[in-house]
Amino acid sequence: MTGRDSCRGRRIVLAVFLLAGFAAVMGRLVHLQVLQAAELSVRADRQHQKAVTVEGIRGSIYDRRGKVLAMNMEVPSVFGVPASLDNPSGVARDLARVLRVRADEIEKKLRQERNFVWIARKVDPEQGRRLERLALDGIGTVMEGRRYYPKGALLSHVLGFAGMDGQGLEGIERRYDPYLRGEKRQIVLQRDALGRTVFPKGLTEQGPSAGHSVTLTIDEVIQYIAEKELDDAVTATQAKGGVVIVMEPKTGAVLAMAMSPRFDPNSVRGLSADRWRNRVVTDAYEPGSTMKIFLAAAALEEQAMKPRSLINAENGKMTIAGTVIHDHEKAKWITFAQAIERSSNVAAAKIAMVLGDECLFRYLRAFGFGERTEIDLPGEAAGLVKEPREWGRRTLASVAMGQEIGVTALQLASAVSAVANGGWLMRPYVVSEVRDGHGQLVAQVTPQVRRRPITAETSRTLGTILEGAVTAGTGSKAAVAGYRVAGKTGTAQKIDPETGAYSPALSVASFVGYVPADDPRLTIVAIVDEPRGEAWGGTVAAPIFRRVAEQALTYLGISSQEPMKVALAAHTEIGSGIGPGIRPEIRMVP
Amino acid sequence: MIDRVLDGRALTPDSFDWRFLGLIASILSLGVLSIYSVTSVQTVTGTPIYLKQMAWIAIGCVAFVAMLVVDYHKISRLAYILYALLLVLLVIVLVAGKTSRGAQRWIPIGPFVFQPSEFAKLVLVLTLATYYTRSPRQGWMQRVVLPGLIMLPGLLLILKQPDLGSGLSYLSIYFSMLLVVGMRSKAMGTLLLFAVMLFPFAWELVWGSLHDYQRERIMTFVDPAYDTGGKGYHGLQSRIAIGSGELLGKGLHGGTQSQLKFLPEGHTDFVFAVFAEEWGFLGVLVLLGLFAGLIWLSLEIALKAKDMLGALLAAGLIAMLAFCLVINIGMTAGLFPIVGIPLPLMSYGGSSTVATMAALGLLLNIKRRRLTLFY
Repeated sequence: MTGRDSCRGRRIVLAVFLLAGFAAVMGRLVHLQVLQAAELSVRADRQHQKAVTVEGIRGSIYDRRGKVLAMNMEVPSVFGVPASLDNPSGVARDLARVLRVRADEIEKKLRQERNFVWIARKVDPEQGRRLERLALDGIGTVMEGRRYYPKGALLSHVLGFAGMDGQGLEGIERRYDPYLRGEKRQIVLQRDALGRTVFPKGLTEQGPSAGHSVTLTIDEVIQYIAEKELDDAVTATQAKGGVVIVMEPKTGAVLAMAMSPRFDPNSVRGLSADRWRNRVVTDAYEPGSTMKIFLAAAALEEQAMKPRSLINAENGKMTIAGTVIHDHEKAKWITFAQAIERSSNVAAAKIAMVLGDECLFRYLRAFGFGERTEIDLPGEAAGLVKEPREWGRRTLASVAMGQEIGVTALQLASAVSAVANGGWLMRPYVVSEVRDGHGQLVAQVTPQVRRRPITAETSRTLGTILEGAVTAGTGSKAAVAGYRVAGKTGTAQKIDPETGAYSPALSVASFVGYVPADDPRLTIVAIVDEPRGEAWGGTVAAPIFRRVAEQALTYLGISSQEPMKVALAAHTEIGSGIGPGIRPEIRMVP
Repeated sequence: MIDRVLDGRALTPDSFDWRFLGLIASILSLGVLSIYSVTSVQTVTGTPIYLKQMAWIAIGCVAFVAMLVVDYHKISRLAYILYALLLVLLVIVLVAGKTSRGAQRWIPIGPFVFQPSEFAKLVLVLTLATYYTRSPRQGWMQRVVLPGLIMLPGLLLILKQPDLGSGLSYLSIYFSMLLVVGMRSKAMGTLLLFAVMLFPFAWELVWGSLHDYQRERIMTFVDPAYDTGGKGYHGLQSRIAIGSGELLGKGLHGGTQSQLKFLPEGHTDFVFAVFAEEWGFLGVLVLLGLFAGLIWLSLEIALKAKDMLGALLAAGLIAMLAFCLVINIGMTAGLFPIVGIPLPLMSYGGSSTVATMAALGLLLNIKRRRLTLFY
C-alpha cells in the first residue's frame, strides 16, 4: 500500500466516523422529536401556559310553571396582568375613575409580582364598556355570571344562594350545585421565561358552557300566598317567626315552603347563617297536639280503638308519674273521635297506654319521624324520637301529646300527607326536573313511595275524625267555605331556655291538615313560633291554613263541592285567560 | 500581477460548484429565518439582528470568494504568518479583549467585535496541512509531537479566555489531521480518532459520575456564561423546545419555548433548537440533509484532491465543520454537555459566519484546482 493510498483510506475512515456522528445526532433527534415529543410538548405547555379558571355560566332555577327564580346576568369582571404594565399608577388612576374605587388600592394590586390579578369582579356592564373603550394596557375584562334572584326574598330559604365564584352555598343552589354549575372555563395566558404574562396575544377563552337549569315543584304564586299569609300572621301576633308548607299529598311535591323572616339572596353579605337556615328541614321542634293524628292512626290501625270507642277523660285531669295532665275542655266519657277533635291530653295518654311504648314508637317511625325525609335540600335534620328503652315513666304519655319528641315541619307535612294519601308515605321533593343548556332533559324526579304505615281504611276513618276536628273541634278556624277540610291543631309549650322547664308564655302554635278531605290535593302545615296573646294553634295557625288553602285552591282551580262556585270559577277563567274562539262547555252542576 | 495571484485562472461560472453553493445558500437562509423568528419578539433597539447577520453573510461572501480565487498553495505559504498573527490576536484578546459573561473572547473594532478563536480553527487547519506537506517524513516526533507543539500555544490561549467549545474544536482538528496524515502505528491513529469522536461520550461518562456541585464548579470555571439559571436549565429548555416541535413543528414565530424566552441563546448557540421547534422533525430532516449534502461534497473534494496539501486541507476543514455541527446539535439535543460551539452557517455571529464561509471557499478552491497539473 502506498502512502497516497493509505492517506486516501484514512480520509474514508474520517468519513465513516463523520457518518457515525451524524447517525448519533439523528438518532437523538428521532428520540426527542418523535418518541418523546408528546411528553416534551406537555412540559412546554406547562411552562408557558398559565390557566386562570373562570366559573361557567350557572344554570337558572325555575318554578313549576317556568317562572324564573334564580338566573345569571352576564357581567364583566376586570383583571390585570401586572407584569405587562409599564405604568401601574397611571393605569390605576384610570381604573379608579371608571370603577369608582380608590386608585392606591388598585395600584397595590397592579404592583404585585403576579401574572394575573382580579381588579374588580362582576362590575356594572356600563363600567365594563367604558374600560373596553379605554383599552388600557395590561387590563382586560372577561364575562362572568352574576347570580340574580329576580323575586328578591321570595323562597329565599329554599333557593339559597351562590357565592362570588358561582359556587352554590345554600339551599337548592348548594344541593344542585353539580348540575347548576357550568363547566369551568379557562383563560389560557402565555407567560415567558421570566414569568411575565404575554398579553393579550395568548388570551384565549374556552367555553362558555352553561350549567343545567333546575325546575322546582314550587309554585311561585302559592309560595307568594303562603309567605304573605304567614307574614301577616307573624306580624299580627308579634311572633318570632313561622313556617308554612304546602305539599301535594299524593306525590310529595312541595308547592310552597315559606318561612318568616326571610332574607334577600341578592345581598347576603353580613347575614349570619341563622338567617338563611332553612328551618323547615334543619330545625326539629316539639310539635304538641298535632302528633295526636299519628297516635290516632296507630290506635285505629291496630284496631285498639274505633271512632266510637269510649274513653274516660277523667274530667280533664290525670296524674302520671307524679305530674298532672290537663285538658282544655273538661269531660268525663268521650268517644275516641271526640278525644282527637277536642285534643284531649288525658284521652291521648290513655290511648297511648293501650298501645304501649313499642307500638307507638313503631308507628311514629313508620310515619317517618326520627329519620330524614330525604328531601333534596341540604342540611336536613332527622329530628329526635327516642328508643322505648330510653323512655321514662311519663314519656309514653308525653309522646302521645307531642312532647319529648323532636320533629321537623317537613316531617310533619310528609306524615300528614301519608294520612291524606290513603296511607302511602311519599318522599317529599322540591326539584322536578333538570335540563341541560339546550333544554334537553337530564334528570326527572318522579314521586317515590317510602312506605305505607297505615291502610286506606284507617286513612279514611282518620280523615273523617280530622274533618270533625275542623267542623266541631279545635280547628274550626281552618274551615274553608265550600271545601271539606281535615286537620289538627297543636299548641306546644316551649321550654324556656332560662328555666329549663315548659314556659307558660312561650309556645308554638300549629295547624296541619289537608283539603279537600275526600280527594286531598293540598297538605298545608302552618307553624307560628312564639306568638303573643291568644297563642293557640286554633287561633293563630288555623286561620293561616284557611287563607292559604282558599287562595291556593282557587288558583289551582280545584273544584269546590258547592255547585255555584264551580260555575263562577269557570266563568272567571273564560273572562281572564281563554280566547274568544275557545269556549269551554260550562256545565251547571244540578 | 493579478494573474499571478489568481494562478492564471479566470473566475468563470464553471469554477463554481452550483450544488455546493446552493447548499450553503439554503443553510444560510434557514439560519437567517430562525434568527429572524426568535429575535423579532425581542425589543432590541437599533438594527434587527437578522439584518446584522445578513451583513455578516455578505462579508462572508467576500471571504468565500477570496479563499476561492487565490490558489490554495499560495494561501498555504502564508500559513505560518497567519498562525503567528492569530497568536498575536489571541494575546491581544487576553490583554485587551472585551469581556462578556465572564469570558474574554472578543476584540472590539469600532461597533463590531471580532472573535479570533473562530478563525483559529481555520488557521490551524491551514498551518497543520502546510506543516505535514512540507515535512513528509514519518516518525512519532515529526507526525505527532512537533505539530502538537505548534498547535499548543493557540489551544492554551483559547482555553485561557476561557472558550471550551473553540478549544475542543481546535483540538479535534489536530487529532483529525493526525489521523488523515497517517502515523506509523495505525492503531495509535485509530485510537486517537476514537478519542476525538468518542470524547463527548467519554465526557458524559466521566461527567455523569460527578456530583452536581462538582459539575457546576467545573462548568462555571470553564464557561461561566452557561448554566446561570440553575442546573441543567439550558439543556432542559433546549430539549423541551426541540421535542415539543414534534413532527411538523409550530411554524414561524410559533415556537413558544423560544419566542417566550424559555430557550436561552436562541439566535446563537441554540439556533438549532429554535429551528427544530418551529419546523419540527421534518424541518430537521431537511436541514440535516442539507448539511449532509455539504459534508458529502466536501468529502468528495477531500478524496479527489490532486495533492497532499489539498487532501489534508480538505480533511481538516471537514473535521472542523463536522465537529462543530455534530457537537452543536448534540449539545442542543442533550446528547453532549453544553459547550459554547456555534452551529456553522446558522448561528448568529460575525466571526463564526465569516470564518466558516472562508473555510468553505477554501474547500471549493481545492476542488477547482484538482484538474490542474502539479506546479
